[in-house]
Amino acid sequence: MNDFMNLILEPMQEVLLQFGTFMPNLLALLVIFVIGLALAWLCRALLVRLLKVVKFDSWSDRMGFTTLMRKGQLWSSPSQFMGTILFWGLILITLMAGLSALDIRAIDHLVEQFFIYLPRVLSAILVLTIGYVLAGFLSRAVLIAAVNSGLHYAKLIAEAVRILMSLLFLAMAMEQLQVAPDVVLAAFSILFGGIVAALAIAFGIGGIEAAKRVIESELVAKPEEEAKEDVEHI
Amino acid sequence: MNGIALRDEVHAKLEHIGSADIVIGIPSFNNARTIGHVILAVQAGLAKYFPACRAVLVNSDGGSTDGTLDVVQQTSMADFDAILLQHRVEPIARLAFHYTGIPGKGSAFRSIFEVASALDAKACAVVDSDLRSITPEWVELLIKPVLEHGFDFVAPLYHRHKFDGTITNSIVYPLTRALYGKRVRQPIGGDFGFSGAMARFYLEQDVWDSDVARFGIDIWMSTTAIANGFKVAQSFLGAKIHDAKDPGADLSDMLYQVVGSTFGLMERYAPIWRPIRGSEAVTTFGFEYTVGLEHVSVNTARMLKLFREGLANLREIWVDVLGQGDFGEVEKLGSQSDGEFRFPMGLWVHVVYGFAIAFHRNKLPAAHLIKALTPLYIGKTAAFVLQAEQLTQREAENEIEQLCAAFENAKDYLVNNWI
Repeated sequence: MNDFMNLILEPMQEVLLQFGTFMPNLLALLVIFVIGLALAWLCRALLVRLLKVVKFDSWSDRMGFTTLMRKGQLWSSPSQFMGTILFWGLILITLMAGLSALDIRAIDHLVEQFFIYLPRVLSAILVLTIGYVLAGFLSRAVLIAAVNSGLHYAKLIAEAVRILMSLLFLAMAMEQLQVAPDVVLAAFSILFGGIVAALAIAFGIGGIEAAKRVIESELVAKPEEEAKEDVEHI
Repeated sequence: MNGIALRDEVHAKLEHIGSADIVIGIPSFNNARTIGHVILAVQAGLAKYFPACRAVLVNSDGGSTDGTLDVVQQTSMADFDAILLQHRVEPIARLAFHYTGIPGKGSAFRSIFEVASALDAKACAVVDSDLRSITPEWVELLIKPVLEHGFDFVAPLYHRHKFDGTITNSIVYPLTRALYGKRVRQPIGGDFGFSGAMARFYLEQDVWDSDVARFGIDIWMSTTAIANGFKVAQSFLGAKIHDAKDPGADLSDMLYQVVGSTFGLMERYAPIWRPIRGSEAVTTFGFEYTVGLEHVSVNTARMLKLFREGLANLREIWVDVLGQGDFGEVEKLGSQSDGEFRFPMGLWVHVVYGFAIAFHRNKLPAAHLIKALTPLYIGKTAAFVLQAEQLTQREAENEIEQLCAAFENAKDYLVNNWI
């Protein structure tokens, strides 16, 4: 009978013992999570306030961030949005830190992998953000300059600049994330090189007549009325 | 005499000169071909109208390599008797130097203000170094209102061809007049007279490391004088003819510099201009006479093509800046034929105010925003040329007067949207 009772009690004692060992870890997880939650909330509030002080919202309007957000059905202000990203980022990190406190080997490995990969994700996000801003800025600058120069295909040129810049930064971000880096590099080289070659051929063949006209107009004297445009704007 | 814009040797010369009644400043950069005439006119003007005043002629140069400074030092009227009835009592001191600091007309002016301040000048004037139409009378007309009538700032008033000075006529003059309530016809004329106190006030402003040092100094001087309540007048100088303009100068860059400076000043002086309504004439000196003006050719077909290119490609920016309502009106203009093309005054006023408000709200980077105005400005200019082709100078001037009234009448729109 004693043996039978031992058979029942020993596993229960084992469970209780393990539970006793696990409980402080679980408590540590909860404490880490609560502190992390409070810190994340505080950091979000501070970041939103800081971004409002440096007029991040109007900067985002100018750089096209707000437009991008609206396209993605995000209706909060850009500074609120950044605050939310920071908040959930910190919650994720807190959760990972808390899980590692549980001292479970499988979870420990997952947490380790997460923290090794995290800098890559952050730098990829940074590269994509810079790329988006730069592509938008350069594309708009090219569009306005081309229109003011009287180029007929201004929009096309500006769009080509945007696509090329976006491709470049997308490839850089993928390289950061180490997502099939060889394939990404090869695909980017083929695509980017292909576009440039295609444009060169297109302009080369399509622009023969235009180039001829430019050279001729440089060599031949301009008609009197064209040359005499002399309105003074200031 | 420890201004940072002047070199040590200039300080030494200033110590030697001591003080002066009048300082005439001439900013230059590679103007050896034309500056000689300007120097002679200024010398004759000082000799003829201010023979008893101690005068200093200052050439503030941006690093010319064509011998501009040598021309300044060597140019002298051989025989004043041929043009003057009386001899000058005081000799005219001369200072010619390369200014230091950010390259630009603003830095050149800053060093002239420093010289004026160091010499405790009573009256000063600045004139462009590429002027061909300057006469000795310009010196009298820019200096006398300051010396004898107590004015602090004297703007120029020129007779120009009806198609010239279109940025001034369609944007800067109507806008400045509506904002600050003073009818200064050429706020970016470039040739100004001002008091010593005004020069010191300019010098004290914390702008010399900003864009003002590079460009936009003319509108900055005029606006600073008007907005800060200095006594402002204008003098009729006749025609303004200067050296052929740089054919490579880009219109959108020009527009960015002038309009960007004007919009920037709107930010600074918003509390001053917001309550002002209407405008008043300023005292005008000089006898207005008719002058012969050179013919100006304008290719309106090419201008309208540029306007239509803008309409086709900049739609998103224009809608964002002007709103759907005003953009709809602009869009309608695209369907007009070349010969009948007209740009309604009220719409143009809304366009300029709309861009000023967008600049205030930082809707786009400043350079992008103002350069996106270029096709609209070209469209407006083409419309004015087509409309004014058969008009006399006076009738064309009346059109500009009506435009100014439209700017003044619509000022509530600007003020209400300036949030």
